[in-house]
Amino acid sequence: MRIDSTHKKWLIASLIILVVATAVYIPYAAASPYGPSGASAIGLTFGIAGFAFMIFAGLLGARKRFPVWRVGRAQAWMRGHLWLGLLSLPLIFFHAGFRFGGPLTAALMVLLIVVVLSGLFGAALQHSLPAVMTEQVALETIFEQIDRVRGQLLEEADQTAARAAALVAPLVTAIPARIAAATEEAPVITEADVAPLRSFYEREVRPFAEKPDARGHALADSAKARAMFEGLRTLLPPPVHESVKDLEDICEEERELRRQVRLHHWLHDWLLFHIPLSFALLLLGAVHAVMALRY
Amino acid sequence: MPRAKRTTKTIAQRIDLNYFKRPSRWRTWRFALSVALPCLAVAWLAAYGVARDGHAYSVGKMSPAHAVLTQQCSVCHVSKAGSFRASVTDKACLSCHDGPIHQADQVFAPSCASCHVEHRARMRLATTADESCTQCHADLRTSGAATPYVTRVTEFTTEGHPEFAPLRPGFHDPGTIKLNHAIHLKANLIGPNNTRVQLGCDDCHRADAADQSWRFGAAPPSQSQALMAGRTAPGDMVPVSAMPIFGPPSHSSARAYMQPISYARHCIACHPLLFDKRFADSVPHDTPEVIHAFLVKRYTDYIATRPAELRETRSTITLPARPVPVSPRIYTPREWVETRVVEAESLLWRKTCKQCHALSFSPGLAPAPPALPKVAKSDIPVRWFPHAQFDHEAHRAWTCASCHPRATTSQETADILVPGEKTCEQCHHAGADAAEARCFECHTYHDWSREKRVKGAAHISSLSWMQIAGKPAS
Repeated sequence: MRIDSTHKKWLIASLIILVVATAVYIPYAAASPYGPSGASAIGLTFGIAGFAFMIFAGLLGARKRFPVWRVGRAQAWMRGHLWLGLLSLPLIFFHAGFRFGGPLTAALMVLLIVVVLSGLFGAALQHSLPAVMTEQVALETIFEQIDRVRGQLLEEADQTAARAAALVAPLVTAIPARIAAATEEAPVITEADVAPLRSFYEREVRPFAEKPDARGHALADSAKARAMFEGLRTLLPPPVHESVKDLEDICEEERELRRQVRLHHWLHDWLLFHIPLSFALLLLGAVHAVMALRY
Repeated sequence: MPRAKRTTKTIAQRIDLNYFKRPSRWRTWRFALSVALPCLAVAWLAAYGVARDGHAYSVGKMSPAHAVLTQQCSVCHVSKAGSFRASVTDKACLSCHDGPIHQADQVFAPSCASCHVEHRARMRLATTADESCTQCHADLRTSGAATPYVTRVTEFTTEGHPEFAPLRPGFHDPGTIKLNHAIHLKANLIGPNNTRVQLGCDDCHRADAADQSWRFGAAPPSQSQALMAGRTAPGDMVPVSAMPIFGPPSHSSARAYMQPISYARHCIACHPLLFDKRFADSVPHDTPEVIHAFLVKRYTDYIATRPAELRETRSTITLPARPVPVSPRIYTPREWVETRVVEAESLLWRKTCKQCHALSFSPGLAPAPPALPKVAKSDIPVRWFPHAQFDHEAHRAWTCASCHPRATTSQETADILVPGEKTCEQCHHAGADAAEARCFECHTYHDWSREKRVKGAAHISSLSWMQIAGKPAS
């Protein structure tokens, strides 16, 4: 989600809440004879508010899962997730008096910090990377289908190479007949003519398309690839250049797929930390709330 | 044949339209981690439960005194049957140590945990915040009669704390012994055996009872055996060890207060109780009755060995340059003793004893001998602040004059020389570079004179970590 002018109201409201909370906390902490305590009335209020914000932030997943629910737009929920989730950090610090406490409360504080920081990290990525994706991945496809598309590209590449090989004229035993068959409009392409293409395909293009996880391949760099294909064209007769162009397009599409995979991982892999840790945070937070009431 | 042109249709045809029905690797990982991490969290808490270690839910480190109970939450957090809550009760605290009431007429008694706050890793739980005290003393009310104490105390400053009681208007020194500090601290005083001496504060005032090397605590060699026995007179103060304890017994210091002033230790060498030139020794420092009996015996023994002195030649009239015939008088032993005793007692009651003590005489009718005087109890306070503690030992780095500057110039017995609040405030004030100034430094909430001994009921093997370690109960 881009953090744009639509977030302004949320930003202002969050700042107001933060300022009010700070204005309440400072005199409360100063007046507490033994330091601020989560069990005091004000401390409890901070804790309840912070946990409520965390629960709201956690409900974003449920909201997305049931899009037909008439409980506000998903975008609004997303903005609430960002800002209220961020606000939960200072509120919980005020609740705890900036102390980590015992094992459970210390684990909660660490979890909260990691979740909020990972969320900030993810928000920054999700703010900036989509534009990069649009710019660098013109041929974006569905991420889960990338392997399938890759398979199709490989087939296409094989077919292109086969088409180029098919351009080779059938072998004639009589040299004079061969000379007679050749004309200026339709030069005869020999095996030797397409050999560089075949060799290049077997050595460079196919491995590049077949093993997307391999690193350091020359065709992965678009400038190098362009130079390589330019050089290949100089070795091949004009009728074969079309196949070379097709192979070049396929390699370009493969590079874009690789870029898309990289950007997709940047955009989404942080959620593999953020979401499970936030579930653990909510669960332990509930345990803490119950046990704190007990003791 | 050239590559097919990329159109929306061609692009869409590349996609498997049922792809969303199959789980993707990323979603699978996300689901797995979303289940695994919370399960791990629950397992972590369960491990504490299996170890019977309740301190997973602790909100902070225990104080060192209670650290051994870190895993035994139930020792303090007692849950009633059928109730989910397990809060700290006063009963739980009192099961290990007593906490006597502060005052019988206090309006309310705060709970133990409200003043002695645990789970803050505080070194001493007794170091309570001032707010624990000022919640009552900032506006003191009592459930009974009007309180004799100051009703507004907020902090240890001139504005927030009253002047110490002995220095407030209307307070009178209860002591009856006359003493001029300025004279005693002069240079070149006449000491024992006509030597010249310079007294110091510690020649009379010392906190250490073990240090008995009093410079002027020994009588000259000619003193009587009764004095050398170190017997104290009834007027002497109660020893410090018998003073009521205003702090926990474990906190009392044998060197907190100055040892009581005693004639035998501090005065005898310079102030012998001589009564007659015939004798080198002194009367005992005791009650008038004892002194009278001593004098009678002394003179009786004396005249028994010197009967010649029964005949006294004494001129009753003395005129200059005109001799008057003397008239000898012959006494009976009894008359002689009576006369000498009256003369000696006149010297003692009217001069020697009166120099320090307050004596009162009941009128007697002549010719009967005058009745013995009544000597007022000395009543020198050893402890001037009965509701506050002070430890001289803790202040041993400073000179006496630092806190008692008026002692060197005090001439009046009525001068009260204990330091005032401003003197203490020089060091004891708020701030990181100052001595402790919170209420607990000088005052104690619990009246330890009413302490009841608590008998321990728990066995060390009941500690859960001992059981896990397999330590047998002895």
